[in-house]
Amino acid sequence: MNLKVVRDAFIIASLKSIPDLKRQPSMLILMGLISAMPLFFILVFGGKMSYGLIGAMIGAVSFIGLSAAIQDITWDRYVKIREMIVAMPVHPVSYAMGVAIAPLVFSSLGMLFFLLIALWQGFIPLFSVGWVIVSVLLCWAVLSGVGFIISTYLQKANTYTLSNLSNILGIGLLFIPPVYYPEELLGAYSWVAMIFPTSNAASLIRVYSGFLELPQEVLIVRWLILTVTLFVSIVAVALKSKWREA
Amino acid sequence: MEEAVRTAGLVKVYEGKETIEALKSVDLSINRGELFTLLGPNGAGKTTFLRIISTQLMPTKGEVRVLGHDVVTEADEVRKHIAVVPQDVMAYANFTPWEYSYYFSRLRGMSKHETEAASAKALKAVGLWDLRDRVCGSLSGGEKKRAIIALALASNADVLMLDEPTSGLDAVARRDVWAVLRELVEQGKTILLTTHIMEEAEILSDRLVIINKGQIVANGTLEEIKSLTKDKFRVIMENNSHEPNQLQNTNHSIRLGNKQIVYVKNESEALELVGAALKKGVKAEAAMVTLEDVFVKLVGRSEEN
Repeated sequence: MNLKVVRDAFIIASLKSIPDLKRQPSMLILMGLISAMPLFFILVFGGKMSYGLIGAMIGAVSFIGLSAAIQDITWDRYVKIREMIVAMPVHPVSYAMGVAIAPLVFSSLGMLFFLLIALWQGFIPLFSVGWVIVSVLLCWAVLSGVGFIISTYLQKANTYTLSNLSNILGIGLLFIPPVYYPEELLGAYSWVAMIFPTSNAASLIRVYSGFLELPQEVLIVRWLILTVTLFVSIVAVALKSKWREA
Repeated sequence: MEEAVRTAGLVKVYEGKETIEALKSVDLSINRGELFTLLGPNGAGKTTFLRIISTQLMPTKGEVRVLGHDVVTEADEVRKHIAVVPQDVMAYANFTPWEYSYYFSRLRGMSKHETEAASAKALKAVGLWDLRDRVCGSLSGGEKKRAIIALALASNADVLMLDEPTSGLDAVARRDVWAVLRELVEQGKTILLTTHIMEEAEILSDRLVIINKGQIVANGTLEEIKSLTKDKFRVIMENNSHEPNQLQNTNHSIRLGNKQIVYVKNESEALELVGAALKKGVKAEAAMVTLEDVFVKLVGRSEEN
C-alpha cells in the first residue's frame, strides 16, 4: 500500500466528515447520546454503570461504523459522486478506507468521553486503555466490514431498504447481545457473546478491566474470532466488489 | 491533428434477463482541443460511450484510447488526464462550492497551494466565486450544477467529459456554462459533451456525432451534418389551408396542430411556398433548417431502417 492510498483515504474521510461536522456540530452530541441512552435505564434500574459505560464506548463507534459503510456507499452511488471518484486517480482501497474512517471522526468524541468517565470512576485501569482502544477499533473495523458486505452484495437493493436494514442491524447488534449487560446473564448461552462482534469486543474490554475472567485460550479464541471476521469480510468484499462496472 | 479519444470497433453488450447491445462497433476519433458533442435520443448509447471512455465501464469488445492510453489496460493513466461530470449528478447539501473543488482537487494529488489556486480559478470561471462559501443546499439548481462543473474544471484535466451538464438549467445559467466551456477549449482543453439541447450542440460544437441505437448515424462538423439532408430550408405555416399540389416538390412535412412545417430543397422553393401561402392569407415564414430538423430526420430514418 503506497502513501497516496493512505493520503487519499484521509482526504475522503475528511470530505465525508468535516463539512458535515462544521455545519452540524450537534451530530457529535447526537452520536454520543444514542449510545448513552441505555445508561439512563441502567442508572434507574440499578444496573452496573461499568457495564453501561463499556457498552456506550462500543455503541459510539459500532452503530455509525456499520450504517456509514452501508448508507454512505449507497448514497454516493445514488448522487453519482462515486462515478466521479471512479474516473479519478483514486484507488478503491482509499475510497473504502475513507468511508470507514469518516464515522470515527463523529464517534471518537463520544467514545473518548465515555472512556474518560470510566477511567475517572476507576472502572478501567489506566494500563488497560491500550487494550480498550484496540478492542473498540477492531469492533468498528468488523462492523464496517459487515456494512461493506451488505452494500456490495445488495447493490441493487433500494436505498431506503438498505438504510432501514443498516439501522435495524445496528440497533440489533448493540442492544440484543450482551454489550450493555454482563454475558453471565445468559447463563449456559453466554458463549453467544463471542458470535457478535459488539458483545465480543465488550467482553474483551471487561476482561482487561478485571470484570470478567476468561481462560487464556478462550481469550485468544475471542481475539481470533474478531480478527478472522474482519479478514473474511475484507475478502468477501474484495471478491464481489467492482470498482469499474463490467 | 493529435487524437484525444479514439475508439475502434467499440461494442458494449449488457447481459441480463435480456441482452442489450448498447454500442455496435463504434469507430470514432476526437481531436485534442476540440469540443465534441454526442447527440442521440434517450437510450441511444451516449452515456454508455462516455462511461466506457471515462474508465467507469468495461467495453465488451474493441479498442478505446484516451490520449493514447488504453482504457482497459492503462486505466490509471487515463484517469490522471480526465474529469467527468456524470448525468444527473447531485450535490451534497452540506458542501460549499469551495469544499467541492478543494477536496476533489486534493484527491488528484495537487498540493494545498495548487488546489487553492485551481479551485479559485474554476469557481471564478463558472461565476460562483461570490457564492463559494454558501452550502449547496441553499443554491439554485443552476448554481449547484456549476459547482459540480467547477470541480471538474479545477482538476486541470486535459479531457473533460460532461454528460448533459446543462440539463435543468435556465437559459441564462446555460449560457454562462457555454461561455466557460468555449473558453476552456480556447485554452486547449478537449471537451466531450452529451446533450439533448440542439441549440447547445449547434452553438458549442466543433464537431459532433449523432448516435442512434448504438450506432453512429452522422459524424462531422455542423455544416457536414446539415449537408446530409437534401432539405436546406423549412417553411412554417399557420392555419394550414394550402393546396396539396403546392407541396408536391417538398421532401417532407410535419403537421403540428394548426401549424405545418414544410421542408424544401432550396431558398427559392421556400420563398415560393411562403409567397403562395401569404396570397391565401396563411401566415408563413421561411428559415434555414436547424440541427434539430436534421437530427429528427436522421434519427427518424434510422428508426425506420
